[in-house]
Parts: sequence; structure tokens; C-alpha cells
Amino acid sequence: MHAVAGGDRPSRIECRGLRAGYGHLEVLRDVSFTIDRPAVYVVLGPNGAGKTTLFRALAGILPARAGTVTIGNDAVDRPTARDRMHYLSHLDGVPEGLRVREALEFYARVERAAPSDVDRVLDRLELRELAGRFLAQLSAGQKKRVSIARIFLRERAIYLLDEPTSNLDPKLAREIRGLILELGRERVVLYSSHNLYEAREIGEFVLVIRDGRLALFDRIENLRGSRFVVGLRLLRPHPAVADYPRQGEYFVRELKGPEEVPGLVRDLETQGVLLREVREMENPLEELFG
Amino acid sequence: MPDEMAPAPEPPGPPSLFGVTVRRAFVTGRIYLGIATAVSVAIAVVIGVASAAVFASFVPLLLPVYMVLAGMGGLMVFTSDRMKGVYEYLLAYGLTPRRLFLNAILASLVLVATVLGLALGVGLAVFVGRGNTVTGPLAVALALYTVPMSFTAVAFAATVGMYWSSVSSPREGLVSPVGLAPLVGVLPPLVTLFVGNAVGGAYADLAVVLALLVFVLVVLALIAAVDRLLPRERFLSSA
Repeated sequence: MHAVAGGDRPSRIECRGLRAGYGHLEVLRDVSFTIDRPAVYVVLGPNGAGKTTLFRALAGILPARAGTVTIGNDAVDRPTARDRMHYLSHLDGVPEGLRVREALEFYARVERAAPSDVDRVLDRLELRELAGRFLAQLSAGQKKRVSIARIFLRERAIYLLDEPTSNLDPKLAREIRGLILELGRERVVLYSSHNLYEAREIGEFVLVIRDGRLALFDRIENLRGSRFVVGLRLLRPHPAVADYPRQGEYFVRELKGPEEVPGLVRDLETQGVLLREVREMENPLEELFG
Repeated sequence: MPDEMAPAPEPPGPPSLFGVTVRRAFVTGRIYLGIATAVSVAIAVVIGVASAAVFASFVPLLLPVYMVLAGMGGLMVFTSDRMKGVYEYLLAYGLTPRRLFLNAILASLVLVATVLGLALGVGLAVFVGRGNTVTGPLAVALALYTVPMSFTAVAFAATVGMYWSSVSSPREGLVSPVGLAPLVGVLPPLVTLFVGNAVGGAYADLAVVLALLVFVLVVLALIAAVDRLLPRERFLSSA
């Protein structure tokens, strides 16, 4: 049983022996974990591992075949449990036939948010210019922005976000990551992504789903890859790094761990190397995909 | 100790979303709506101007066929919402599959009421304006067949289409639920007319009403069985 303790109970998620699936297909098998403190929890796993099914079961959309999902103190199918969560599916979920403002008003009715919240969200997600346009006229990225806007209509204790930054341009993806980080300070945010660098940037904990089972639940900082490789980008060429292997613009060097980075930088600077950038070249999360 | 927390007050239930579903059905099904309105009004007006006898014989029979097209908006909203994840969102916020199903059917019926009212209103105005009177048989045909059959045909097409959409993989074109629905929708008018004609004589009207009733009961049974026949996962798009 994996668990993270502390924090307030309204944002508690407890899964015990959860099994769920579709028709004859069982996707999740005996998943158990407890989340009990605000943070960003990244859910990772290869395609078809069961990430979306896990989100659906946690949101109470897909009934458990066995086991339980408890939100706060309530079973997930209770209205009180649902009222604590925001769920953003991997699909846009934008209701065609409406304009952007009307779509947000539609969400606001479902969320029981005030009309003034629609205006606030239009501004916060920079949708004001698109407010009068039909959803069918928007690009995939713009639709995603409308879709994400709904989770800011009302505050809730738990945010289940299934691939919230897919289809977004880099600028907006960065803004959304910022908003998610902000949410994670006081709320539980479960977040799935295929972007491992993004996951590492914003996640505090990682849940890895593999073949429908929870393969790992740990702090991301506790994960260490079998290799620690840094890339060095120089301001101008220097013979001191001439024998380093190259990856694009980077001269790469394998170290025992991040603690060796300051020493390496010091050595190179002593030799007169002018460094423009030092970055980690391999993400330990990649190894979780096996 | 932590489990001693006071139970949270029950939040109010989710909104029905019926009004917004109707509005979206008008927008989403506007092409079908336009075709159905134009053709049904044109038929009613042209035949009403041309011949009172032909009007009384054919218009009541033809209108329900075009009403099937008029009511496509509700089904289109349903299939679009299922595929695009809107139902996934709404189910997460407490709306039930039956509520979503009913919204789409009722939205289709509102579309039909609008177009049928327009076609009948304009057609009868032209018919009466040409100096004709609405005879007993014409009134019976409209009341026993045209109006109920229009609603029944659309409800049947929408219900079968929504079941088809929920149990099948997404398809495009003529074999999609929206492509098949008009073909399914003409079944009730055709069967009912066939039964009425086969029985004939004094019991023809009764046979028509009974045949209609059978289709109404089928629709009601399918709606009642939504939660049992279509588990929630059927309302989700493929993961």
C-alpha cells in the first residue's frame, strides 16, 4: 500500500484494491494508494497502461468492479465526493454548437459557478478575444484552452487532469504548468502527461501505471537514473572539452550524480572554459517506461 | 480520530441542461433543419395551391418523413458529445446517462414541433386561403397520423441512433448513427401505413393508432432500459 500522509482530509484520495475496465477488458488490477496532502502528483505510464481508466475511476465515471475509491470520507459515487473534484479528461469536452462564452456559461451551470466567474476565467485564460466565436471555428489548441478554463470556474480540493497540456503551444503550455503548480500548493493535483520533462518540472510525486497496476509511487526527487549525464554548451570552443562526446550543441559528460556538477563547472572555469549552459541530458523518468 | 469528521452537506443536484441542449440541437442540426423546413413547407404550399384533394390525401402522409430530418439535431448533439468527451465531463459532475439520453430525444421533439407547426400552419393557411375547408377525414388524418407519427418517427430514429452510437465504434458517413437515423426513422410511418392499409375498412384508424402505440412503447422501453442496457462506459469515448 503506497501512501503520502499529512494535510487536510477533504483532499484525501484513497484507492483500495481498485479494479476497473470496459466490457470484458479489465484495465486496472488491484490498484491501491492513498494521497493525503496537497501537491502535484504526476501519473505516468506507456500508452494503454490504464492512466485514463484510473482518472475515470477516481472521478466516479467508471464504476469499480472491485475495491473502493474514497474521496475525503465519502465513496466516490456520492455527490459530496464529486463536489470536491475537478475532472479534465484527455478529450476537450467542448460542447459544439456554442460560442466560447456560451460554453463557459454551460460549464458554469454544471459547476454551479457565478456568471462573474465566466468573465474572470475569460480574462485569466486570455479567451476574451475568442468569446464570440463558435467552438467549431477554433483550433485544437484554442479548444483545449476553453476546456482547461472550466477548472478555474470554481475552486475544489482535488484536480484530476488527464493530459492537460497536450495540443497546446509552448507558451500556453508553460502558463498552464504555472497555474497547475500554483494549484498544487494548496490542492491535490493528479496530472498525467507524456512529456517527461514537464512531469519532472512540476511534479512532486510520481505514480507509474504499468499493465494496469501501480508500479511505483514515490517522490520524484527520490528517483535517480542509473546514469547522470550533463550537457555543456560553451560560449566559444575550448580544447579542454575537445575529447568530450557531442550531442548536438552539447558536450556531454557522465557523472556519478548531481553533486559532482559544481566541481566539474569549477574545473572547467579554472581552465578558462566559458560556459553558456549546463543541463541534465537524461531524465530518470524515462527509465520508468522500461 | 480523523474519521470523526462531520459529514459534508449534500450539494444540490446537477442542472438538467435541457434548454441548452435544445439550443445546441438547433445550431448543430441546422442543415437538416433547413432542408426539412424548406421541403415540408414547399410541399404543403405547392400541393395546397395545386389541388385540395391531393393535399388532403398526401400532405398528412408525407410530412412525418421530412420531420425525421428535422429532428436530427438532437441525435447529432448526442453523438458529438459522446465522441468529444462532453458526456465524460457531465457524468463526472453527476448527470445520469438517462438524463443525457432524454435531453437529446426531447431536443429532437422540440425541433420537430417547430418545423411541423410551421409546415402545417403555412400549408393549412394556403389550403384554407384557396377557399377549401378542413374536412373531417383531413382533420382525423392530421390528428391521428401526421402529428403523432412525426413525433414517434423522430423519437424512434433518435433512440435507435443513440443506442447505435453508444454500442458501436465511431463511424463516418452513411453507416454512422446520424447517417442511418433517417432510414430508421421512416420505418414507423411505413409500417403504420402498411398495417392501416392491410386492415382497411372501419378498423383502419384503430390499426394505425395501435401500430403507432407499438412504436411509442418501444421507444419508452428503450429509454427506461438505458441504465441497464447501456452501462456508463458506453457514454465514454475510447481512451
